[in-house]
Amino acid sequence: MSVDGLAPRQRLAAYAGVARVQLRTQLVYRGDFLFRLLGLLVNIYMLRLVWDAVYPASGTATGNGGHRIALATQIAYVTLALVQNWLLNSGGMGFIPQRVREGTVAVDLARPVRFPSQMVWAQAGAVAAQLPFTVVALPFALLVGGARPPASVGAAFGYLLSLLPAVLISLLLTTLVQMVAFWTLETSGIFVIHRFVQQFLAGALVPLWFMPGWLRVLAEWMPFQATTYAPVAVYLGQAGVWATLGVQLLWCAVLLMLLRLMWWRALRRVVVQGG
Amino acid sequence: MADGTTAANPIPRRRAYRLLLGAALRAQLQYRSNTLLTLAGGIAYQGVGLAFVSVLVGRFGAIGGWSLGEIAFLYGLRVTAHGLWMIPTSQLFVLDLTIRTGEFDRYLTRPAGPLMQLLSREVYLATIGDLLTGVAILVAGASQVDLDTSPGALLYLALAVVGGALVEGSLQLAAASLSFRMLSNQSLRLFIDGIMNNFGGYPLKIFPSVTRIVLTFVVPVAFVAYLPANVLLHRTGELALAPWVAWCAPLAGPLLIALAYLVWRTQIRHYQSSGT
Repeated sequence: MSVDGLAPRQRLAAYAGVARVQLRTQLVYRGDFLFRLLGLLVNIYMLRLVWDAVYPASGTATGNGGHRIALATQIAYVTLALVQNWLLNSGGMGFIPQRVREGTVAVDLARPVRFPSQMVWAQAGAVAAQLPFTVVALPFALLVGGARPPASVGAAFGYLLSLLPAVLISLLLTTLVQMVAFWTLETSGIFVIHRFVQQFLAGALVPLWFMPGWLRVLAEWMPFQATTYAPVAVYLGQAGVWATLGVQLLWCAVLLMLLRLMWWRALRRVVVQGG
Repeated sequence: MADGTTAANPIPRRRAYRLLLGAALRAQLQYRSNTLLTLAGGIAYQGVGLAFVSVLVGRFGAIGGWSLGEIAFLYGLRVTAHGLWMIPTSQLFVLDLTIRTGEFDRYLTRPAGPLMQLLSREVYLATIGDLLTGVAILVAGASQVDLDTSPGALLYLALAVVGGALVEGSLQLAAASLSFRMLSNQSLRLFIDGIMNNFGGYPLKIFPSVTRIVLTFVVPVAFVAYLPANVLLHRTGELALAPWVAWCAPLAGPLLIALAYLVWRTQIRHYQSSGT
């Protein structure tokens, strides 16, 4: 591929174009938003009630790191984590499999920018389309669930800073899972598994501090927690900013390499279907 | 005519359903590796919900006084009812799609009922994963709570599962019927499914009373698993309702599904071909 033929500026313009197309595609279906929003709010409300019910009457519980977690902190965690996970995973995961099955992947391959980058940017466009919805959803979510101010000014900045790698890791993960389409044409099964395993190990339902030891270790060694748990834990002052950012950047590097490797293997397997 | 055929319906209903379903199943099994993964997907979907509950109970001891075994039993009852309903009816989820693409026109011209043809257009194997997970959780829970295994109790359990399946089904059928006017209402049905999935597996007594009333009389989640589980676990004493209401919970299913079918019959009259 003639990747080197493009100036960085041209390449960026190409990526922005790919992202824009996905953004528009997603916005066509905004009619479904109301029920998706209601679904999210019901989910947050339910989790709040359940945490209310299980929490000790004293209003605090000990996390497995030894610190006390107040009920209000726990509910703020659940609210923020669910909204964030919702934003990152509402973009759908359809386009690589669809393009492989319909043969349009041939067009993507002929473009002068790398295919994996195209796909990551397309996914970014799909997630960006969810942003306005998330902005609308957030106040309702905080009302139904619960809100807490950030633990400190540093935690607030740390949260915003750690959101960037969190988004990138999430985009890389969804793209990697979609790449499976090059090996098996039907992918709905893998997507469903990814959706739920990701949600759980990301800490969207239970924060890592309440997971039993072995599960916590498993979650810590997986990239999913870096997308949801890590930023929210920083916000609430339950995790250090720099350590969190370090782990996140490490995952970005690992996943980028993995995507390269997988793409290199996939290229040898591409079967362009039909005309 | 004998065996229920008429000039307009020359093929007996049961035979038509069997033929269509067989074809759908064969089509689905063409993608062998995906078949297994789809099954695993159904298991992951329900498994994550249970994993959440068991982490909670493991950390905090009990939920609303229900032990892990009791909650697993309740949770399993809900998921089993869900799986039982979903296996034959997963295609209700794409009713709006078949209307938009004009596929539904075909159902009206063929010698079989449109609802039957819709339901047999594809078999979604993840639903079998749902059922397997449900039964596994139910059995695991039952073994922890030394359930009454007299024939009477087991019969009640079976009726409760079928009744629960029909309760959930009635909501989905009624919501799907609105597709004839709304053209796109998949998110409404996912929303209902979300409520069932979110609240169905918990002892409802942990929720505030307004929520409990909504989940009993507006969206009848309580009738799917919570009320029959109270009966089977001898916990009717903690209910705000009279115990006989809980005992009669399996009757809600047949009643509601009949109502939902009426909704289907009235809504299908509003069908307008998309012309494509």
